[in-house]
Amino acid sequence: MRLFPTLTLALSLVSGAAQAATDIDFFFPVPVQGKLALEMTRLVDVFNAQQNDVHVTAVYTGAYDDTNLKTRAAIQAGRPPAVVLMSANFIREYVINNQAIDLGRLIAADKETPDAFINKFFPAVRINATEAGHVYGVPFQNSTPILYYNTDAFKEVGLDPDKPPATWQELVDVAKKLTKRDGATMTRSGITVLSNYDTLGWLVSGLSMSNGGDYYNRNWGGEVYYNTPSTIGAVQFLDDLVHKHKVMPEGVNDANAASNAFFAGRTAMMIHSTGALGFVRDNMKLPMKVAFVPRALRNAVPIGGASLLIPTGNTPEREQAAWKLITFLSSPEINGGWSRFTGYFAPRMAAYDTAEMKDYLSKNPDAKVAVDQLAYAQPWFSTFNTVGVRKALEDQVQAVLSGKIKPADAMANAQKAADALLRPYVEQTALKLPE
Amino acid sequence: MPQSLTLGAPIPRRRRAPRSLALAFALLAPSLVFLGAFTYWPIIGVTLRALTQQRFGQRASWGMDNFARLFADPHFANTAWNTVAFAAGTILPSLALALFFALALRENGKFTAALRTILVMPLLIPLVAAAALFVFIFLPGGGLLDYYLAKIGVHSTNWLGNPDIALGAIIAITIWKNTGYYMLFFLAGLAGIPEEYHEAAKIDGAGPATRLRRITLPLLGPTIGFVSVIALVNTLVQIDHVIVMTGGGPSDSTNMILYYIYQQAEQNMDLGLASAATVVCVGGLLAIAVVGLRALERGIHYES
Repeated sequence: MRLFPTLTLALSLVSGAAQAATDIDFFFPVPVQGKLALEMTRLVDVFNAQQNDVHVTAVYTGAYDDTNLKTRAAIQAGRPPAVVLMSANFIREYVINNQAIDLGRLIAADKETPDAFINKFFPAVRINATEAGHVYGVPFQNSTPILYYNTDAFKEVGLDPDKPPATWQELVDVAKKLTKRDGATMTRSGITVLSNYDTLGWLVSGLSMSNGGDYYNRNWGGEVYYNTPSTIGAVQFLDDLVHKHKVMPEGVNDANAASNAFFAGRTAMMIHSTGALGFVRDNMKLPMKVAFVPRALRNAVPIGGASLLIPTGNTPEREQAAWKLITFLSSPEINGGWSRFTGYFAPRMAAYDTAEMKDYLSKNPDAKVAVDQLAYAQPWFSTFNTVGVRKALEDQVQAVLSGKIKPADAMANAQKAADALLRPYVEQTALKLPE
Repeated sequence: MPQSLTLGAPIPRRRRAPRSLALAFALLAPSLVFLGAFTYWPIIGVTLRALTQQRFGQRASWGMDNFARLFADPHFANTAWNTVAFAAGTILPSLALALFFALALRENGKFTAALRTILVMPLLIPLVAAAALFVFIFLPGGGLLDYYLAKIGVHSTNWLGNPDIALGAIIAITIWKNTGYYMLFFLAGLAGIPEEYHEAAKIDGAGPATRLRRITLPLLGPTIGFVSVIALVNTLVQIDHVIVMTGGGPSDSTNMILYYIYQQAEQNMDLGLASAATVVCVGGLLAIAVVGLRALERGIHYES
């Protein structure tokens, strides 16, 4: 895959053509299915065909984490890609390590201010794309958690399928009714909240925010709020679903276990990503609907997804070529089309003003619920050492779900582990005082 | 080797030595270059890295800080312990099973050949693919395993989501995957034992148990030593299924040293800690290999 751009570059050097198009490479991940890679390649071909200044080679780089790894390796090797579609919560670390460029200069060349530019995207996705008023990422595909529920199960126990639970209290009441037992075993659980690494931290952050908290410092990457009433309450809620109300299976339920249980009617509700909407819709044989994630004090869900960024170390020509691609991909038409193809929501607000999108939403009420919930979306957890700090919480919450530890102790442990991982950054920033 | 030495002996050494030394280096150069570039240099590099103290935003200096942090890290202790439990849980049972199957299926026949093929099958499935299959076999409630267990009245079990069970599930797959492989070595080892020994023992009135204990096992010594080393190395480096099935969870209960190194280097961007863990790991492997090879040599002496 790398041979082709090198070859064309070599040819253009040999011929010495001054008019040759700028060759750039674009790293993109596919977190869900293979079909997405084909569609992305098609989009890039459309871009290459419609203008002559820039030639883009799209390079599929695996999952989000693999893309992050390969991008960092390429930057260190002195051959950074021109554009990367990067998990939105990693951008902060790229900024901290000075590995992503401030897009302000490129935005200014389009006669726009950074504020005006980023305000074209939904409010929830702006925070992860900016740092201290500077734009570093351009949101491209996003998701939030959502409640999936089996409407047949609702009818079976006399619940109205058009009235999904809206609060934590209602969730517990409904889940108790939906849970079926055979002696001591649960033959159908009322609800399953996904609890594998990566997803669990994301979902707990949403529950904590719904419970009134901030979960992490949005403005500075050195603080998390694990050992706080809002987060302890959220974890206690999960613990109660398993051990007190007994409406959720004990231990870790990963995406496979949860969605298969949902398809087979062995769990009546699940909290999963909107990004899985297409997958669930295709595989669920029983009738189902989606609803907002039930709230504690307020409606709140974190965003997930990815933004486009330009790594440091590219020439100004390549940066400008990269910007052209980014402008193309984030246009309302392309962004909306990608959303309809993938099931992600389009972060570009104007995408929802297009006729195709209005038509799509009227035909897909599920997708509309996901978009409506955006009004309550919150930014995605991101700190120094994001993955490690997130895992510090997840290890403890998994222990809670397995009945090994109580939420208050677990969150004290999680806070301690997270603080240790954040320490080097904290020492170089907030605690680096004038001498 | 001994032949070339005797051939080289009569040639006057003083005159020929420099040229043959150069020739030797020239002949060795291709492998030396690759060994140097891909084995020795990385070992030196990772050792230097491990001795370099550099934390975020600070200047690098030399020291043992990374090792101090490594040994103070409860996650490292935990993953080391998991790796030991994983090794103990897989090596003995898979070796015992492999030896048992090799002894039972050593005779050539249609039936035994078919059984041998079945036992070797898991070897042909890549570990990653096997892990992806086992994810569905282990699905709580709806998986193949729970489906059949339900028929004998066993309730659904969260095989991979329960921190007390997950490592056991991982160990079970590893045994399933490796037993056939080790059996092949034992079959080869058994084929190398001359039949006369057994016949002589039979004439002397030795029973099957005595012959196994006095003839088969001692003569199989080198094979057992060799397979043990392979099995040990496997438990350290074969963790594809851990990554696919549990990601080291729940609560780090299936995390292994190799994955810990990856997490430190690629997730926490702490190359110092990752390098220190690598040095400790490679050191441990070398020690094990040396001990294992010693045992192997003793076995060979016994045979001759």
